[in-house]
Amino acid sequence: MMAVATSEHDAELMLRVREGDAQSFALLLAKHRGPVIHFLYRMIQNRAVAEELAQEVFLRVYRSRAGYEPTAKFTTWLFRIASHVALNYIRDGKHERNQESLDGESAEGIARQVASRAPTVEQEMVREVQLAEVRRTVELLPAKQRAAVLMHKYQEMDYAQIAAALECSESAVKSLLFRAYETLRAKLAHMAGRG
Amino acid sequence: MKNTKGSACPMERGEEEILLRYCAGTLAAEGAGPLDEHVESCPRCRPWVREQRAVWQALESWKVEPVTAEFDAALLARIAREEEARPLWRRWWDRAKGAWGAALDWRVAVPAGAMALLLVVGLTMENPFRQEAGETMVKLEAREIEQAERALEDLEMLRQLEPPEEEQKL
Repeated sequence: MMAVATSEHDAELMLRVREGDAQSFALLLAKHRGPVIHFLYRMIQNRAVAEELAQEVFLRVYRSRAGYEPTAKFTTWLFRIASHVALNYIRDGKHERNQESLDGESAEGIARQVASRAPTVEQEMVREVQLAEVRRTVELLPAKQRAAVLMHKYQEMDYAQIAAALECSESAVKSLLFRAYETLRAKLAHMAGRG
Repeated sequence: MKNTKGSACPMERGEEEILLRYCAGTLAAEGAGPLDEHVESCPRCRPWVREQRAVWQALESWKVEPVTAEFDAALLARIAREEEARPLWRRWWDRAKGAWGAALDWRVAVPAGAMALLLVVGLTMENPFRQEAGETMVKLEAREIEQAERALEDLEMLRQLEPPEEEQKL
């Protein structure tokens, strides 16, 4: 109920943006910039690039305000644009050139340091190693599977919304998520009960 | 072939997405309750759920730093630059389109404009057919008057040729 009210509110704000209300655009930006940047960051794994791409997403939202019609949920429309931007970026091969190193250190490098540090530092190091592993595993997923998992896990979008955002059928989303989680289980399940 | 449709096991029914929703905590309580018992006792579902929960937990540990403070300012500056670079007519058009909605969509606006133009031209131009018809009417009316005058003259002549009434009686 709450989600419906929120999405209606978003659509209303966007209709006001269409009429030239800059304040409504600022409200939409304040509400959605975090989820969009986080999604792009997890897709690309480079902070500066994620913010640059997020600017492109909101610019596209602003540019298409005149033709906006509230036919779909605002967040679905927004994430369709964000997915397009991210997938195009990855397809163009800019991804490999710009990817951040995992805070400048490899997981193996961090693990080697663990033995020589105090317990609290050790815990922190283990956490860092695990996080690096999660990031690397997600990064190795095919781009569309990655986008589907990120929208499913972090944006809590259902199959229909993910399908609309990725412009594919719901059964295709089921298949994408099934394969993605299968890979993630194979590589990350050993973390159960750790940390 | 084994009939799996009536099975209580989502794995056997090929419905892993139910287990996925169960692990994500998005399954309704009435569905999650019976599944709790099943998962505990099922040798296929139990390890699957354990592994999926581990994935879920691992993904949850991936936190992202907050957005930089400059983000909004940089975006709004880009929008302002873009707005200034756009021609005035385009800015006016988008504003009008925003206010009038779909009515100003080019697919609607162009045919509507063409129709309006045709209507205006049609109303302001003189209709040649109409003028000709008018002229024909005037000609016809003149001929009718002429014919009537001639008929009256003929009648008068006939009256003059007729003998007076007294002679007729004799």
